[in-house]
Amino acid sequence: MVATAPTRTEGAPRRHRSAPDADGVLTVGRSKPATFLANLIGVVFAIVMIFPVYWVLNTAFKPGNEVLSFTPTFLPVNPTFDNFVSAIKAPLFLQDLLNGLIVTMCAVLGALVVGFLAALAIARFQFYGRKGIILVILAVQLVPFLALLIPLFLMLQRAHLTNSLIGVSITYLVLILPYTVWTLRGFIAGIPRELDEAALIDGCSRFQVFWRIILPLTGPGLVATSVYGFIQAWNEFIIVNTLNSPEKQNLMAWLLQNQTTRGTAWGPLMAGAIITSLPVVIFFLLIQRNIATGLTAGAVKG
Amino acid sequence: MYAVDSPTTRPTTGSGGVQQHRSSGRSSRRPRRNRDNRTPWLLSLPTVLFLLGLLAYPLYRMIVLSFQNMRLRELLSGAAPPWVGFDQYSKVLKDGAFWTVVWHTAAFTVVSVCVSVVIGLAIALLMRRVTRHVRLAMVVAMMFVWALPQLVQAQAFLWMTDSDFGVVNYLIDKIPGVSFQRHTWFGTPWQGWLVITVLVVWAGIPFLAISLNAGLTQVPKELLEAATVDGASPWQALRGITLPILRPLISIVTTLSVIWNFGLFTQPWVLRNGAPEPEFQTLATYSYTQAFGQSRYSLGSAISVITVLLMLGVMAIYIRQMFKIGEVD
Repeated sequence: MVATAPTRTEGAPRRHRSAPDADGVLTVGRSKPATFLANLIGVVFAIVMIFPVYWVLNTAFKPGNEVLSFTPTFLPVNPTFDNFVSAIKAPLFLQDLLNGLIVTMCAVLGALVVGFLAALAIARFQFYGRKGIILVILAVQLVPFLALLIPLFLMLQRAHLTNSLIGVSITYLVLILPYTVWTLRGFIAGIPRELDEAALIDGCSRFQVFWRIILPLTGPGLVATSVYGFIQAWNEFIIVNTLNSPEKQNLMAWLLQNQTTRGTAWGPLMAGAIITSLPVVIFFLLIQRNIATGLTAGAVKG
Repeated sequence: MYAVDSPTTRPTTGSGGVQQHRSSGRSSRRPRRNRDNRTPWLLSLPTVLFLLGLLAYPLYRMIVLSFQNMRLRELLSGAAPPWVGFDQYSKVLKDGAFWTVVWHTAAFTVVSVCVSVVIGLAIALLMRRVTRHVRLAMVVAMMFVWALPQLVQAQAFLWMTDSDFGVVNYLIDKIPGVSFQRHTWFGTPWQGWLVITVLVVWAGIPFLAISLNAGLTQVPKELLEAATVDGASPWQALRGITLPILRPLISIVTTLSVIWNFGLFTQPWVLRNGAPEPEFQTLATYSYTQAFGQSRYSLGSAISVITVLLMLGVMAIYIRQMFKIGEVD
């Protein structure tokens, strides 16, 4: 929405520095010094924002003696991959990586199947209780899930599902389910009803309408939604840290454990943080448009 | 302003009985109306069951638990915890430490939300004024921050504010006449909360600025230009045109920020190595430590119930706004 290819206003000379970018930018009352000042603030802002990210990367590539130095260098003098190697070789790293993948996949796939059906009902049917379901789905997204952790822990304990990947998978499924339903509802509602009707008239059964029209057209939506669910489940560490022992946790919880037990091993910790963040950062950048609009759906329609 | 019923929402709020007879004539909008209730309910059933079993039931259990006295002994033996009525609540409400936590959480929420919404709006406006390349740099920087997991964001700050080797102390120490070597940021509550607030604001700006910038593209350029031609100052144009148009969006992002920041857990938890001192507790961490640190499950539940009650008003505003939008679709 922001980085769209701008179409230049007619007649605006190409090389003119203060020429507006024509995607709704105000053109009256612009002076060169003002634009320069704005650019300067913008650049400073970008640098300040990215600095912590840069510092994590910078630290991860430094050898130990450079990390623990009273005069930190702003680029690694002797860049090394040692921190990454020692993070991967650290106890439980691979185990927790695998656990995280299993739990996340189960939760996302489960939420997708379960959520898609409900989204279909809400988007395409008018039925008694529809409003109630929408209300519940919106409301539960706001309840801090941590508040429910105490009873959930006691319930799973009684069902012998603590310290198991199944218990965490189910919990994560419920964690991402409301968002999944709500987002898929938006995607399905975006498919013109006329398509359904045309197919029905042409002799499709309701199931065929679902299978041949709605499902394929929701494809991109399913991908975006599952990626967001993946990010949610991957980033969670408090629930898994509470329910399971370290060998049944995920990489986020592993990072937290290493922070407290290893003390000042900042290099490997930052390297571990990069490895752990990499999948979600990539996924996030792929679907960022959907996330921004999902939370504030429709509010920008004006 | 939200109480006004827009024409598009009115038909569905009417009674269902009347609509049934008219449904054939208006089938273009709701083709499946009332043909049968079974299919949609069958489709929703798995979701409903999951939400009932793992959200509604725990919610109910949490409320029940807060009227009992569940300790480690009951957890291990499986015996039913004794019913104690409002004892947990009176214990919590009489506890000075609890009120300190409430005060800290509330003050943090107000300050962090105000600061981040104002900065977010300022950045969104700035993004409309800078040239394309600068805007791209701003967006890229914000996207990377937004994409990082909360835990990693917090660990980055933990490392940067390290008292011995942290880059923040090093940079501040560079300012002439200021000595910040070996400065401990979590020695006093004010400075510690400053770090937490900066972290939360930094992490929150991308969502706010990018959403608000998307909203700003909806403000008609002609209106702003006309106002400028008519002699309005930029400030007047902002107050008179931009902000009123952005108002629904600002109210949504603000309520979301309030809900998120009031439930603050990860940042103090990570910055204080999983054991926040009393002055760095929030309602969420306090409830958690009572329950899982000290095995006072009922006391923790009572604190959670109070937290949710305190947030209910803000949640209602958000849902009302979203509901209106959801109906319009």
